[in-house]
Amino acid sequence: MNVNARVLSNRLAQQCSLKRIVTFSTKPTQQAAAVAVPQQKDAANSAPVRKPIVPAHYRFVYPEFLPDPKVEWRNTVREKLERLDMLDRRRQIELPEFYVGSILAVTSSDPHAAGKISRFVGICIHRERCGLRARFILRNVIDHQGIEVVYELYDPTIQKVEVLRLEKRVDDSLFYLRDALPEFSTFDEQMEPETLEEGTPVPINDIKVVLRPRPWLERWERQNLLGVANIDQYIKDKHRKSAEKVQKPWEKYDMMKHYRATIPEEEQKEIFAEVHTELHTLELQRKRNKRKRSFVKPKQLA
Amino acid sequence: MNQAEVSKLISQLRITMRPNKRHLKNSEGPEGRLLKLRKTVTALVKHERIELFYNRADEARGYAELLISNAIRYGDRHKATMELADYWLLEKQLVHKLFKVLVPRYENFSSSYTRMLKAPRDYPGIYYKKSVLEFRGNPFPALVPDYTQNRNLLHNVLLDEARKEFRREQLAKMANKFAAETAAPPALATQENDAGN
Amino acid sequence: MLRTVICDLARLRLSGSASPAAVLITQVREKGHLSRPRLRNPYWFIRQQRTRTDDLVTGENRTFIKEVVHDTYGVPALIKGTQTYEQKQLIKTTEAPTDAEPWTPAVRRCGLIARKIGQYPLWLKNGERVRTTLLQVVDNHVIKYIPPEEYRPTQRPNVHHLNKYGCVLVGAECTNPALLTKEYCGLFRDSGVMPKKNLARFIVSPQAALAAGTPLNVGHFRVGEFVDVRGKTVDHGFQGVVKRHGFKGMPASHGVTKTHRRAGNIGGGGEKGRVWPGTKMPGHMGNRWRIIKGLRIWRINTKYNVMWVQGSAVPGSTNGLVYIYDTILPLRKPKDAPPFPTLYDNADANEPDDIWYDQVHSFKEESISYKPE
Repeated sequence: MNVNARVLSNRLAQQCSLKRIVTFSTKPTQQAAAVAVPQQKDAANSAPVRKPIVPAHYRFVYPEFLPDPKVEWRNTVREKLERLDMLDRRRQIELPEFYVGSILAVTSSDPHAAGKISRFVGICIHRERCGLRARFILRNVIDHQGIEVVYELYDPTIQKVEVLRLEKRVDDSLFYLRDALPEFSTFDEQMEPETLEEGTPVPINDIKVVLRPRPWLERWERQNLLGVANIDQYIKDKHRKSAEKVQKPWEKYDMMKHYRATIPEEEQKEIFAEVHTELHTLELQRKRNKRKRSFVKPKQLA
Repeated sequence: MNQAEVSKLISQLRITMRPNKRHLKNSEGPEGRLLKLRKTVTALVKHERIELFYNRADEARGYAELLISNAIRYGDRHKATMELADYWLLEKQLVHKLFKVLVPRYENFSSSYTRMLKAPRDYPGIYYKKSVLEFRGNPFPALVPDYTQNRNLLHNVLLDEARKEFRREQLAKMANKFAAETAAPPALATQENDAGN
Repeated sequence: MLRTVICDLARLRLSGSASPAAVLITQVREKGHLSRPRLRNPYWFIRQQRTRTDDLVTGENRTFIKEVVHDTYGVPALIKGTQTYEQKQLIKTTEAPTDAEPWTPAVRRCGLIARKIGQYPLWLKNGERVRTTLLQVVDNHVIKYIPPEEYRPTQRPNVHHLNKYGCVLVGAECTNPALLTKEYCGLFRDSGVMPKKNLARFIVSPQAALAAGTPLNVGHFRVGEFVDVRGKTVDHGFQGVVKRHGFKGMPASHGVTKTHRRAGNIGGGGEKGRVWPGTKMPGHMGNRWRIIKGLRIWRINTKYNVMWVQGSAVPGSTNGLVYIYDTILPLRKPKDAPPFPTLYDNADANEPDDIWYDQVHSFKEESISYKPE
């Protein structure tokens, strides 16, 4: 896509090279040619180019492998040991890819449950913390009663994590489901897992949730939520004004603030290069196991 | 322990960064702080070398570095980067300078894009520390003379001599070792002869 | 002025003692005892860092200095997760002394210098989650042992303990000697250890004496034992009563004015009509030496020299220095002999890196499940 654009602009630039008024872009005139040509070569040879070893989506799939960006709390040895422990745990249990908005079923051993095992199905409304502390919140409505369970991802009492429906929502966390009508957070416990075809991007569910009337647990009107349908219905002008007052539109331009909240790309590469091979083999193993399972079943029937 | 934000990908700064932002007093709050800082960044891009108070320079430096590294990473066809440049550079012809002059200049740099030096403060005057903030590779003459090659300073002369002696000793040691190795068998033989006699 | 007067008087008195008949003797109440220093700092409390100046050394000579350092102390190396030097000149004491006396519960062993490198949870086999702090033992070497007869502590101990304990000087984290003063580097000359950034002294029984140059590792402590950890707490500066002592403050509204985070009453009237000593009030918070006692060691990693101790309340900030001792709590003292005087590195490759306490769930094991009744 980018290459095409560059090539096009290159041509355009060549056409209007006489005029030398390049208002739209300067980079492509000389450099796009330099960039575009090697890429064609790469397509022909394909041997000398090394793809980036770590897939770019890893930071979304395994966000807990990135440490807390707070500088005072960082220590390379601790982070390394933590990563090793996480990998050890991942070798024991399949912790699949999931996002806020995905529907999960978590089976965990519980000393107080009948049969010592409990299974909870719900929508993931929040993911937080990093390393071995990584945790997520599942929400469901059971017998007209909203229930939320906090699970720690690396807790050894968790026996199985299934993703019943893999999807994302438009917001980063779905705490507003607590104030929404119960049907938006009601999920069938006997739900069958829906399979996505391999290679398809994770679908984004842009469903708009309908909120109950006030009082609410939080001031949702201040949070610029995209997944809520009827927020305007319940707020008055004074709410609107106060919501406007607390907006921080300049934070978009505060690059240092973003920088302090992220792990820089070079460090991310280093971290994921360390765990990539292990995670990749685990992924492959999982896929193989899945295929085996789906293959074995009909045999037993026959 | 909070999760790192993953939606954005930023290249690493090549300067040492403070873990937290400095509190630059501003009556307009955090927005006013940015409005003030962007004047500094604009001036830096315009003049390439500016003299100002240390704290403001240090804060502005990170923004200038990130602006350039973003420009290098995404180029001028990236909407978000263009918005950033539009916000941070008050004089719009400087946006052209950023993409046409600074980006080519720093594309293959391995060090930081800016340099900060402590400046003397005028006495008697305001107490605040002062500094000079400049782009690397600017067209002005260097502020600090390059002393690194000054061999005639006394300690350099002494160190030179010490180095020569160190090398000589090393050579002598090696030679001795070699001589001992080569001389060892005959010595042994003579001893044996002595014993035989 | 005053001193000269005193000197004159003293001279008078001296001469008086020489010839008592000649001079009138006046009694002198000496004031010298007031200014006499009570604490004498140990000899290793000397200036550590050289003044950093722009030396304007040529690049050639700079590499030469580095070469000399590497020639004497070995090349930089990453040993057990810490950046240090190879230290080939070190007097290697890898074997235990043959005439070592056996351990008894009354002896005091040496401690370790460590860095607090962070915190994360571990799980027990019963599914319980414990918060742990990771302490990394950073490149510790014994610098010197001072026997009880020669050791002069800063404060004279009780008469009972006089000359009972010796002192082991331990250093942590090698550093470039070109940055240090000559006197400070001189402390290390006899031990053969490279100059260290941090020094600490540990009071030990003479049976637990260690030879100079002995490396100290986490193996000094065992999994399941209890330790005391000493560190300097995080400096919070001058803080109010809500943060410093956890007072509740007062309501935000309902007619409350100007007293939202204030302490309120600090004393009664009548006979107790004064502020009692020890009343909790605003003041400086943190930046004090504190010892947290009786922390269990849950896990040890010998590859990176790290130990996981109970709790997240170890004093000090992350990446700060702490000192680890055997616990003094009587009920948590070890029953059987720990490595004594320390664990000498036998370089056994078969030993696993990670040693887990048997109550802790190792991440390499299967998920925890409870047996149905």
